[in-house]
Amino acid sequence: MRYTVKRFLCSLLTIIALVLSSTPVLATIDDALSFALEAADPYVKEGFTVREDYWGGDLPVKQSKAIVHQLFKGNEYWFWMGTDTANAKISVHIYDSEGNLAEVAAWQKPHKAAARIVPKKTGSYYLIVEVEKSPEERTHWSLAYGFK
Amino acid sequence: MKKAFLIALALTPVVASAQEPPQKIDITKLPGQAAVIDNVVVPLPSEIFQVLDKIGKPVWQDVLRSVKDTRARDGREQTALLLGTVIAEGFIAVESEDAEEVKKIGRTVLTLANGIGVQKAVIRRSNAIVEFADKRSWQQVRLQLDGALGDVKTAMVELEDESYAQLVSLGGWLRGTEALTQVVRKTYSPDGAGLLHQPVLLQYFLRRIDGMPGRMKDNPLVKKIRQGLAEIQPLVGTSDSTISEASVKNIGDIAERLVQEINAKPIQ
Repeated sequence: MRYTVKRFLCSLLTIIALVLSSTPVLATIDDALSFALEAADPYVKEGFTVREDYWGGDLPVKQSKAIVHQLFKGNEYWFWMGTDTANAKISVHIYDSEGNLAEVAAWQKPHKAAARIVPKKTGSYYLIVEVEKSPEERTHWSLAYGFK
Repeated sequence: MKKAFLIALALTPVVASAQEPPQKIDITKLPGQAAVIDNVVVPLPSEIFQVLDKIGKPVWQDVLRSVKDTRARDGREQTALLLGTVIAEGFIAVESEDAEEVKKIGRTVLTLANGIGVQKAVIRRSNAIVEFADKRSWQQVRLQLDGALGDVKTAMVELEDESYAQLVSLGGWLRGTEALTQVVRKTYSPDGAGLLHQPVLLQYFLRRIDGMPGRMKDNPLVKKIRQGLAEIQPLVGTSDSTISEASVKNIGDIAERLVQEINAKPIQ
């Protein structure tokens, strides 16, 4: 009986340990998104509509990812990037179809980065997201956008 | 001295100044090239309608096509394409501020979603569309229609049927494009026509059709859609965003033909 209780407690502790160790991994993209949406918040008050979809993943330091996006002249766009990694420095920048930097504003803050574009013409644009600095080997990130 | 240093340190900005991004990059050597190929962001219909609202006041009632045959079709491919066109029609009905048509569309979305096995995913949206149409909360209806597209996609991915989600997007894009050409042709302007400059999106749709499972790719309707997209491709321009009035008409004619095919009775 004593052995069974001991074994049960060991199993329970193992399960708790597994749950605790896996939770941050599962939660991390959503956490990154929550920072991106936090960055979006003031702009929603300015009338930006935030798309419900989002993009995300994980990147090692100094590596970037490109996302191709169709943007329309006449709209104004903000792209918001978030990460849940404390002390990481992330960035998002926007280039036109010829590779020219096309954003009119960009900023970086702890856990967040953003870029704004008022497209000069309708067409494809390239969003480059990057993890510039991070204490982690791979840093989770998430990107959302809004338009008005 | 030590005090002065501490004050100076306290005044130093906590966030280091942003690293300057390069002014120009080589887009042929982009990082994550594989991701670029597969992950083109398909814009929301709202993004296009918002621009159209700014460049003029189109008479949307002339563009709106009342949804008549609301039944799902025999083939899932056709039903998925039809669902896309109906959602796009929803946006036109919103622009027309036609509450009855919007409500009918909300219910049709549910019927068609049932036909492709994703009814559960859109039931909340369908109800919200009807509810907000009753209140004439047009911006909210737009958001729900945008959300319906996303929900269908998510549900399809969960069912490992992502290709059907692509067909929903395609149907929506085709009806949206047809409507856009109608509006642009009424009062042609290079800026209005420029909204059709979507070469990367067309390449993306063509690639997605080419990557579909054989049975779906060989579906007669899907084949016709692919052929039509290939006809539209040279008309939307490549690097130049100027699209002539004649090209706008041609794009509209092709899109109209394809939308008619989608609405037709099932091909046996």
